[in-house]
Amino acid sequence: MPLQPFIVIDRVSKSFQPDPRVAPISVIDDISIAIDKGELIVFLGPSGCGKTTLMRIVGGLETATAGRVLIGGKPVTGPDRQKGMVFQSYSSFPWLNVIDNIRFGLKFRNDLDAAEKERRARHYLELVGLRGFESYYVNRISGGMRQRLAIARTLAAGPDVLLMDEPFGALDAQNRDFLQAQLDVIQRSEQKTIVFVTHDVEEAVFLADRIFIFSARPARILEEVRVCDILPAERTLEHKESEVFFKLRNRILGVTRAQALRTEQIMMGASPIQ
Amino acid sequence: MAGNSSSTGPSNDEAGARGDSSLPPVGKDEPAPAPPPPSVWASLTSFRGTTGRKTDIYVGIAGFAVLLALWSLATYFEWVQVNYLVSFKVVVVRLYGMFVGENVDHSFIEDIAISLYRVAAAFLLSAIMAIPLGILMSSYRIVNGLSEPIIDFIRYLPVPALVPLTVVWLGIGETSKIALLWIGTFFQLVLLVADDARRVPREYIEIGMTVGAKPRSVLRHIILPAMLPNMVDNLRITLGWCWTYLIVAEIVAARSGIGYVIMSSRRYGKVDTILAGVLVIGIIGLATDQAIRWAHRRYFAYLR
Repeated sequence: MPLQPFIVIDRVSKSFQPDPRVAPISVIDDISIAIDKGELIVFLGPSGCGKTTLMRIVGGLETATAGRVLIGGKPVTGPDRQKGMVFQSYSSFPWLNVIDNIRFGLKFRNDLDAAEKERRARHYLELVGLRGFESYYVNRISGGMRQRLAIARTLAAGPDVLLMDEPFGALDAQNRDFLQAQLDVIQRSEQKTIVFVTHDVEEAVFLADRIFIFSARPARILEEVRVCDILPAERTLEHKESEVFFKLRNRILGVTRAQALRTEQIMMGASPIQ
Repeated sequence: MAGNSSSTGPSNDEAGARGDSSLPPVGKDEPAPAPPPPSVWASLTSFRGTTGRKTDIYVGIAGFAVLLALWSLATYFEWVQVNYLVSFKVVVVRLYGMFVGENVDHSFIEDIAISLYRVAAAFLLSAIMAIPLGILMSSYRIVNGLSEPIIDFIRYLPVPALVPLTVVWLGIGETSKIALLWIGTFFQLVLLVADDARRVPREYIEIGMTVGAKPRSVLRHIILPAMLPNMVDNLRITLGWCWTYLIVAEIVAARSGIGYVIMSSRRYGKVDTILAGVLVIGIIGLATDQAIRWAHRRYFAYLR
């Protein structure tokens, strides 16, 4: 293992000032996280707590008010091919069919020749199980297939880090289970570093090597849960039925429920309970 | 796919469990009769009902038929004096006469052609200028900051008020007429295009930036295709406005065009000619509108 972690989130803070007449709103308060190559990290917390904002700062899509993010020792200055994004909605282009959406991930790789691009597009098409659907437009495939398509396109671009913003949040329970299991398989075959944002505790426990539980706004890290020390690295849906899984899930739920309540109070304008 | 099979699975099990219980096996062997499809009338009159395309066309034709019937009744029973409203038949006969060049030095077809030319030239010019400027306005604050106040200022000027200026500056030739139509459409269209570009989901643009696309490529390969369906709709709507300004433009020292024919007939109270001209504009408008709608359905089929 290298001496320095692959991704370093170094004392990052973020505040917004939507109106110059009022004090800035602090969204992220001095968070530091170190992530090793090949890890699957989950940011878990209530909606609106700032976990997505932190992930977007890692992706270079937003800038931190204080602190910095290093990937492979270099500071993040903006979005690029190194950091791939998978969104919850609008995750693929409706005017392109399935295979062209995957090809789009390779479109700006001038270092590859046409044959190699095509080989990779096919590889990722098959990896996510969309073979046979090449000519389907996005509006004609299911929500689960759309998210697999987004994963294939993002992987095809060849990123070092995969940033996933509640990618399965809009799916029904069966599809979500299936995609979680498939992401686990993809992660093991592709060896990518993944930052996965979710508010679903079960999803977090099933997928994560480590979970960072976020507090209500302004986001701080309440707890780091090393799931990799509790559950085996290779997980199947059966693990969700196990006692260990159940206990861990319930313990984390206890922590997050209190935070969700606090977020609710902040949103309602009540003074937060300290 | 796996998603489908897993979602149908539980419901089958439920059906099986119900069969084993004491409840009578309802429709186990023969499928329950499907409810009869709703009648066309029911689907047309129910709240937010849906119909097929053919039905829509027939209903549209029926609407015209009703209008025509009312017109015919009004003229047949002389509800309206004949110097205000002539019968549909008289208008059609008059239109034929205009086409073959009766009583005038040239055929009405030439008037239609010159009007079509004016609208097409002005509209193309508007579109060619508004599309790039609108996209740049949505992309760069500086372009937006400089141009939006000016556009808003001109946009609120009534086009007829600018007629004297265009005549003084550009004379009474084709240029001043095309300029008037251009003023009427360009300043509206550019804001609509800028809005279409702004409404492209942020996610699409960020996908582009995270697969290595530079701003130019994002504009060409993401923003343009993403906004295109809405933009074509806006082009269709502004093309309609272009026709309304045509009449304004053709009042001004014009000796040709549908608008000129209509306005000069007014002087002599030739209601049949006025109605013939109006009818032709309506038909051209309907035809181009339907053509663009057809193209929209054909080329943006992926939206459905």
